[in-house]
Amino acid sequence: MFELRNVTKSYLTPNGRRYIFRNLTLAIPPGKNIGLIGRNGAGKSTLMRLLGGADVPDSGTIATDRSISWPVGLTGGFQGSMTGRDNIKFVCRVYGATGDSMREKIRYVQDFAEIGDWIDEPIKTYSSGMRSRVAFGLSMAFDFDYYLIDEVMSVGDAQFKRKCADVFQQKLKTSNIVLVSHSMPEIEKLCDVVLLVKNGGIQVFDDVSEGIKAYNS
Amino acid sequence: MLRGRTLSGVEYPVFVLVGMAPFLLYRNTALRLMDSLRENRSLFGYKQIKPLDTYVARVIVETCLAATVYAILVFGFAWFGFDMTIHSPLQWVTTLFLGLMFAFGLGMLLALITHALPSLKIVVRMAFFPLYFISGVLIPAYYLPPAMMPVLLLNPFLHILELIRAEVLPHYVPVDGVSETYVITFTVVLLFLSLGTYRARRMHLISTKNG
Repeated sequence: MFELRNVTKSYLTPNGRRYIFRNLTLAIPPGKNIGLIGRNGAGKSTLMRLLGGADVPDSGTIATDRSISWPVGLTGGFQGSMTGRDNIKFVCRVYGATGDSMREKIRYVQDFAEIGDWIDEPIKTYSSGMRSRVAFGLSMAFDFDYYLIDEVMSVGDAQFKRKCADVFQQKLKTSNIVLVSHSMPEIEKLCDVVLLVKNGGIQVFDDVSEGIKAYNS
Repeated sequence: MLRGRTLSGVEYPVFVLVGMAPFLLYRNTALRLMDSLRENRSLFGYKQIKPLDTYVARVIVETCLAATVYAILVFGFAWFGFDMTIHSPLQWVTTLFLGLMFAFGLGMLLALITHALPSLKIVVRMAFFPLYFISGVLIPAYYLPPAMMPVLLLNPFLHILELIRAEVLPHYVPVDGVSETYVITFTVVLLFLSLGTYRARRMHLISTKNG
């Protein structure tokens, strides 16, 4: 579960401070797949980063008792001049997977991303598709209670997409997701509770179709 | 300015190399820490990675770079017949490390200050320029005006460079007032200040609210 208490978040722009959320307090029930919907720039991705601890609010607290992934498919964290294997090792060490479990994760990512011996080439030589396949595989190699997904369900070709969907179905049996998406069918298919981010506030809908209706109106 | 090619029995290029290499390392360390947050922002997506990690990593990288460059230069100098022996190696390494700690503390404090006030970055960069002259990088400290000495000796870089030179060059005598105790005290106070400030500001550092 997540609990937000008095959360305020703002960004500094050249024209002054812009508030994304002001004094937000809400609780999200445990064991649910969470969908974040809202217009562009409403603050969905910010909320997701706040939930994941990758960003911190100006004031207030966000509490959770679950393990939360980094944003699935995060490619910005890769160091371009290092090889794919080194980048995977780096993340493994950050998450405490060393020795055999590290080797196993590297093999998993290599197989999953279908990059073969490209794994020993620097990341900057990869095509963008390869890079996101590695990033997605890396996220799937670790087990979390919540996976944070920011509109990256669509990497690679049709075959790879099917593979992603399969592994995702596996993961969903034991884990939950926080999904940011503009695709309502996807939200409807995957999520149990919808958070509509609108005008600096958040409405929680336990009924997904009702949330989508509120978003469309 | 230079009587012939030697200064107190030391060849001038050797004299400059011995002082300038550590000075550049310390300057780069102190200045690069100001950018390490921005450069590594994407790594904070992994929430185990803290700003302090990026500071430490930056110091290690700069040290490795400087050590490699220095080793190559020393080898090159020795190849051309300069005497590159180090008079008291253990003390030399200790002082180098002390200087690095000082640079780390300074860099971290500057990074924290410029994070709160980003426009100060350019001022800090410019402030490092005169340090070349008042720290005795290119000229021995005893060429600096004696009347200014009490003021100039407030600058820890001057102390560190003089100490390093005295430890490398056998006949080099540092100017009066250079003391290791001063550098150690300064470094400890600085580290305390910067780590304390870091502790107080650690949440703000990850936050993207300042762009």
